Amino acid sequence: MNAFVPHPRPVSHRPGPRGGILAAAAALAIAVALAACSTGANPTVSIPADATGSLQPPATSSAEPSASPLTFPLTLTDDEGTKVELAAEPQKLVSLTPATTEILFALGVGDRIVGKVNDPTLYPPEAASIPDVAKYGEVNVEQIVNLAPDLVIAGGNSFNPPDKIAQLRSLKVPVLVVYAPDIETVLNDIELTGAAVGKSEESKDLTASMQAAFDQVGAATKDLARPRVFYEIDASQKIYTAADDSFLAAMIELAGGTAITTGSSTNFEIPLEKLVAADPEIILLGDAAYGGTADIVKARAGWNVMTAVKNGAIVPVDDVVITRPGPRLVDGLRALALAIHPDADLPSAAPSAVGSPGASASP
Amino acid sequence: MTTDGALARPRLAVGWIGRVRHRPILLAAGGIAALAVALILGVALGTVAISPGDTLAILAQRLFGAHLGSGWTAATETIVWDLRLPRVLTAMVVGTGLAVAGATFQGLLRNPLADPYVLGTASGAALGAAIAVVIPIRLSFLGFGLLQVFAFGGALAAVFTVYRLSRIGGLSPLTSLLLTGYAVGSLLAAGLAMAMYLSGAALRQIFSYLLGGFDTASWSQLGATVPLVAIGSVLVLLRARTLNGLLLGEEAAVHLGVDVRRERALLLALASLVTAAAVAVSGLIGFVGLVVPHVVRLVVGPNARLVLPLSALGGAGLLAFADLAARLLGEIPVGVVTAVIGAPFFLVLLRRARTGYEL
Repeated sequence: MNAFVPHPRPVSHRPGPRGGILAAAAALAIAVALAACSTGANPTVSIPADATGSLQPPATSSAEPSASPLTFPLTLTDDEGTKVELAAEPQKLVSLTPATTEILFALGVGDRIVGKVNDPTLYPPEAASIPDVAKYGEVNVEQIVNLAPDLVIAGGNSFNPPDKIAQLRSLKVPVLVVYAPDIETVLNDIELTGAAVGKSEESKDLTASMQAAFDQVGAATKDLARPRVFYEIDASQKIYTAADDSFLAAMIELAGGTAITTGSSTNFEIPLEKLVAADPEIILLGDAAYGGTADIVKARAGWNVMTAVKNGAIVPVDDVVITRPGPRLVDGLRALALAIHPDADLPSAAPSAVGSPGASASP
Repeated sequence: MTTDGALARPRLAVGWIGRVRHRPILLAAGGIAALAVALILGVALGTVAISPGDTLAILAQRLFGAHLGSGWTAATETIVWDLRLPRVLTAMVVGTGLAVAGATFQGLLRNPLADPYVLGTASGAALGAAIAVVIPIRLSFLGFGLLQVFAFGGALAAVFTVYRLSRIGGLSPLTSLLLTGYAVGSLLAAGLAMAMYLSGAALRQIFSYLLGGFDTASWSQLGATVPLVAIGSVLVLLRARTLNGLLLGEEAAVHLGVDVRRERALLLALASLVTAAAVAVSGLIGFVGLVVPHVVRLVVGPNARLVLPLSALGGAGLLAFADLAARLLGEIPVGVVTAVIGAPFFLVLLRRARTGYEL
């Protein structure tokens, strides 16, 4: 079994300290890491970074927000099963995932964020003035402690280093860990986040409107033919696409396509011969922001036999909105549906209140 | 290996080396002063700016109960007392352990390339840590996670296996130990590679263990590490004379009244215990254990009675300063810094000591 998840960028490394002995392991690890890296040199590939949750099955079952009336003090169970106690409505928040930053702004509490994770594809723009206290794979505990936040919201499934989360908790900083392996959990996480910041009603309104938008896309594509879709996460070295039952596969199915998947729920790599045999009718370039183009695809050896390449059905898409488990998932699903079915009866943008966190951000 | 006795000093005397080599007490005093400076800087500097006055006042209050004002926030106090101080101290303890273990292994194996990881400790610890990351069980107790426990156990298990296997067969004990260590280490490295391949999103955690660092140091981890490193190092220091005897070769050691087999096993066990305790909290930090003892030998000669304690000081100082630099440079891996600081220094010393260097 091959359970490798592509990493968004090379993990820094040096040869093992024991030159001879660990070098072999280090070399292999480096090879694996580099091979898995989307566009090796590009540090901003954000699919796994934003959607770590979407790429692997959950380690633990996700938790429903507490059903009791949400008044503080409040105890919530996070997505890793940890009980998080909140004495009062948190006024100073630290957001350690890009999706959380978006959710907090959409809930109108963006002004309470005192520290955030660095995000090359930051949204909404108002968040730019918030200082960075973390970047992918790194959390600056000292800076977070210095901000004295009432609540830190972090990403599970190793998006933020688990030892740093444990360290924060040992210093009595409350940390709520969110991790969404599927679309349903994205909605749960928005409600969980809402409950934690005292915006439970607002979060339920938000998820209801998101659900309505998902249903609208589902209805619009229900009776259309379902073409075979290959979603290119990265193909600069090996080819990475949606795993079976993954977040991405579910999004493609919901958008009215038949997702070509790797054949395993834990492996995101697909051999070229398998892809050729699957014969995609549409190729979606999730790596468009990192240099993927239709011309590159057409020039690849062996790809010219695919129906999508013959017909020129190669469409660049914005991977951030498609894979980031936040409010703009609605925009992502619409974009996917329109990429697969250009004639579908759908609004092309997202004019709803859902996708415009800026409008609802409180002063 | 020396022919005229391990205790003979190399025939070099250039510049300051020449002046201090006959006064090890000066070196020790200098080392302790450097440690004090590292401690103060390590607590005073970081990504959050804290005034030196507040830093000192917080330390005075916590250490001696002195009230020198209270103009700082609880967050500042946490940063100074719970984040920076245990971090600096952990770096020193780990540096001590690695340097003492390195000096011991080099003397014991009579091999200048030996370091604390030579008998499979690093591979064992790394595999243990990787397994702890890959298996879906999360336990923690007193600030220790499964990772530290598995790394510690893996390191000791690897050395034990190497030692037992090395005693089968007809090679000389030292050759056999080194080659068995290499073979077992390679096998463990294969296991590590497989675990990394299977680790998915947790790969980064394994990488950060392989790179080593002190950014999650805590009082509770320090509290468990100090006794192991301290007791192990002191017991090694007490056997410095034996180590000197072993340096002369097996036969000479026997003539000096050393029970070679027993002492070798004891020293191996102690050095491995110290190494395992160090790598369990810090991850794999290279270079310190290899180079610090050599630098010390270049300055004071091969006498283990001087090499061991001065290596302990040197290791503590090097890692404390290296960690400070790593922190100020944006949390880069501390092993990179130790090599960048240490390698040129080592090369300069080697050039000056072109003649007469001996283990």
